[in-house]
Amino acid sequence: MLQKLAVIGLCVASFAPALVSLSPALASAAPAAKGKAQPALNLDATKKALESGDEARALAALDEIELSGDRRAAALVEALLARGASSKLLLRAIGVAGALGAPSSSSALAPYVKHRAAEVRRAAAQSLARTKGSVAVSALRGALRGSDQALRGTAADGLSALGAKEAVPDLFVVLPKDTPEAAGAIGTLCTADECKRFVALLGKLPFDVMESGFLPLLLRTDPGAADGSKLQLIEQLRRMATQKANALLATALASYPANGNPKIKSAIDAALHGHTVTSTEP
Amino acid sequence: MSLRRSFWLLAPGALCLAGCGAASVNADRKGLDPDWQNDSGASIAQVEQRLHALPAVANARVAVGVSETGLAAVTLDNASHWTYAGRPTSAPIIAGPLVIFSEADRILALDAKSGQKTWSIGNRGMSLRGAANDGTSSALILADTHKSLFLGISASGAVQSSVESDASFGVPAARGGVAFVPWSNQYVSALELKNGDEIGRLLARVQVSQALNFGGQLYFGEQGLLRFDEKARFASTNQANHVGLPKLDLPGKPAWLGSGLVNPSSQANARTKIRIFAAPVAGPNGELTLGAGTFVATYFRVAFGLDAKTGALRWVRSLPVDIVGGAAASSGFVLCGSNGKLWSLDSAGNDAGGLELGPKIQMCAVDAGAQPVSNGKARGSIAEQITQALDGLEPDMAEAERYLVSELGKQDDPLVTKTLIDLSSSPRIPPDLRLETRRLLALRKNGAEYMLTALARHYDFVSGVLLPPPVAPLADALAASGDTRAAPLLAKHLNDPANSADDVAHAARALVKLATVAEYEDLRTFFALYRATADDEALVAAVVSCAEALLRIGGSEGRAVVERASQDPLTQNDVRRALPAVLAAPAAPAASAAPAAPVSASSR
Repeated sequence: MLQKLAVIGLCVASFAPALVSLSPALASAAPAAKGKAQPALNLDATKKALESGDEARALAALDEIELSGDRRAAALVEALLARGASSKLLLRAIGVAGALGAPSSSSALAPYVKHRAAEVRRAAAQSLARTKGSVAVSALRGALRGSDQALRGTAADGLSALGAKEAVPDLFVVLPKDTPEAAGAIGTLCTADECKRFVALLGKLPFDVMESGFLPLLLRTDPGAADGSKLQLIEQLRRMATQKANALLATALASYPANGNPKIKSAIDAALHGHTVTSTEP
Repeated sequence: MSLRRSFWLLAPGALCLAGCGAASVNADRKGLDPDWQNDSGASIAQVEQRLHALPAVANARVAVGVSETGLAAVTLDNASHWTYAGRPTSAPIIAGPLVIFSEADRILALDAKSGQKTWSIGNRGMSLRGAANDGTSSALILADTHKSLFLGISASGAVQSSVESDASFGVPAARGGVAFVPWSNQYVSALELKNGDEIGRLLARVQVSQALNFGGQLYFGEQGLLRFDEKARFASTNQANHVGLPKLDLPGKPAWLGSGLVNPSSQANARTKIRIFAAPVAGPNGELTLGAGTFVATYFRVAFGLDAKTGALRWVRSLPVDIVGGAAASSGFVLCGSNGKLWSLDSAGNDAGGLELGPKIQMCAVDAGAQPVSNGKARGSIAEQITQALDGLEPDMAEAERYLVSELGKQDDPLVTKTLIDLSSSPRIPPDLRLETRRLLALRKNGAEYMLTALARHYDFVSGVLLPPPVAPLADALAASGDTRAAPLLAKHLNDPANSADDVAHAARALVKLATVAEYEDLRTFFALYRATADDEALVAAVVSCAEALLRIGGSEGRAVVERASQDPLTQNDVRRALPAVLAAPAAPAASAAPAAPVSASSR
């Protein structure tokens, strides 16, 4: 059996380039190349293909839509999602909707975050982070409340990408419950007291759970993340003096933004040299 | 037969009545006549007549617990507390005014009121099985694996008589100088305490291994009791006054009296906590019944008050500790907790006072006597009591939970609906019991408000609601009652993946009946999401039900959605096969009271 599979694999590998050249539809995973002239999309033909009930034809149409990057086709994909389709087609349509990134698609994608098939849910959450808008935020916040651990992680990442500060209280709830992705979102989204609260969790929650939120917090230049919290974090990391903590500080120093507060950058540098960092802020 | 023959057989005893009045301490051991034949109750009737007019021997009304350091006792009037330091090897037996038990190689008798030692005798290498006292003399039954020994003991502790047998003797009773000794599961021999002569014998047609004195009246039996009165002579033809318990399947299968052929150990076990306490009393017309029409079954911490005739649950309460002993009074009960506390409960299970034995105890013996327990403050309805009891139970009390849930289902109180909902959503309930609560919930005909409140709840990881409500039974119950208020709530559950496919299928089924146009969008969304992806039978059924609901409330646009799906090759095969029949069915009228919602606004 394994031998058979190996042979099939070899065959597929050998023929793959030819297959791709035969039909752009089969290169479905390839993102639309920017700056490259794309074939104009025939919306009527695409619509017919999507409504044909022929799975292969519809998949090919979706590939063409993605390849074209033509947002006018978003409505066609949304209509397909509203009608429903086979799992294979749905997954593809959800991915294409995300690739097009039309905010209007969020409403069509939102119900799929609650689909019973986990892969459909997760694909929808990923696409919602790209189609954006209040509907997307609302759907992803709902996903944080679900029983699907992986979906909660995807939703946390998505909320972070969408800048959904209103989700921070919920992110704090899920953070210690097998959703470490919430740390990254909190580090990105938190404001004054929330950032303090987040930093205060260091030592209470495992470093590995918190880690993904520290770098975004340290590198933030917006006024929402107070310098006091950053200095507190730097000092705590210095005291930890672990390899991971030092590596995190070193990364922060190396990637510190040019428009960042020099005081914070100096503090990171000082901490890396073992010097105490103090905050004058309350 | 054989009255004559019987009298002849009993003649030595009768002769002894006349001539052996002052039997000596070292009386010869006697045996029971193995050739005795049924005398149709003649001999036992004579004994009954002899004792009939004697004043009743009052019960001691005392509770005696076995602690790590010995015995601890309190009289039920709380007038006297005493302790005995030692290591009892048998359970204490309250025999008239005495507390009798074994310790090492001795049998000891203490005054029940004061704890003072009254007498002590050697155990002759045997274990104490039972003891009784007629107010003056005592009857002891000792037994080992080979034989049983009856001893008549004077007030000072002198052995007045003994009867030995290969047959197994049961627990005795005593009155007016006569001991009543059950044996061979069918006889009760009346033995003179002073000389051991058998002066009468009762032949019962029911299992008899215990004799007991309740309120001065004697009873014999094991699974039920027959009263030693003027009708006892008819016991051999099953015409004696008899009382038994209704047949019940109670948690732990407790026995009322249990076998009297077992030597009572001082070591507690599960059976110590799984008991039945019932008091035989005379009813208003002289018939034999159980005290105040109720009896109690215990199962560790739970006491069930049951109807004496039907066995129906009348009350229940869960105590904070295991119940390790107790007794029934003529009305009410006294129960001992393993923490050394005594609860007096009236016949409705209400608190009627409490007493303290002092130390923690492993087991306890109580003689409540014929005195009734005063009425306590009434508690809530039986449904409330069951709910409270279930709240107080640990997960390892599954058998009690199972029984209570089954009883709960019999109650009409709307509160039952709430309790069943809570149990259905409780992670501490065993899965099989959760299924049962769901089954019972689906049959509820009241408590709709509780159902609607429950349906408004969803799985919520953030809020810590980690089990969805029991959607399927709620959907069934609300559909049966035609409550359209459930429609929007059920529609929201269609699209909640935390619900099982079965729950969703029932919700969809209910919406066929209950949905209004306001639910169109949720129905359409569900239909769209699963018409081509339904991957199990329940989900297919849910999709088909959704199609029915869409046709009923969705107007032409709803029909278009279903028709398109029925023609789409991508629609799941089972769904596609079912849709033509759905489309062909005559349209059912839409549910009234539908909120006005333009179908077209959300149609695609």
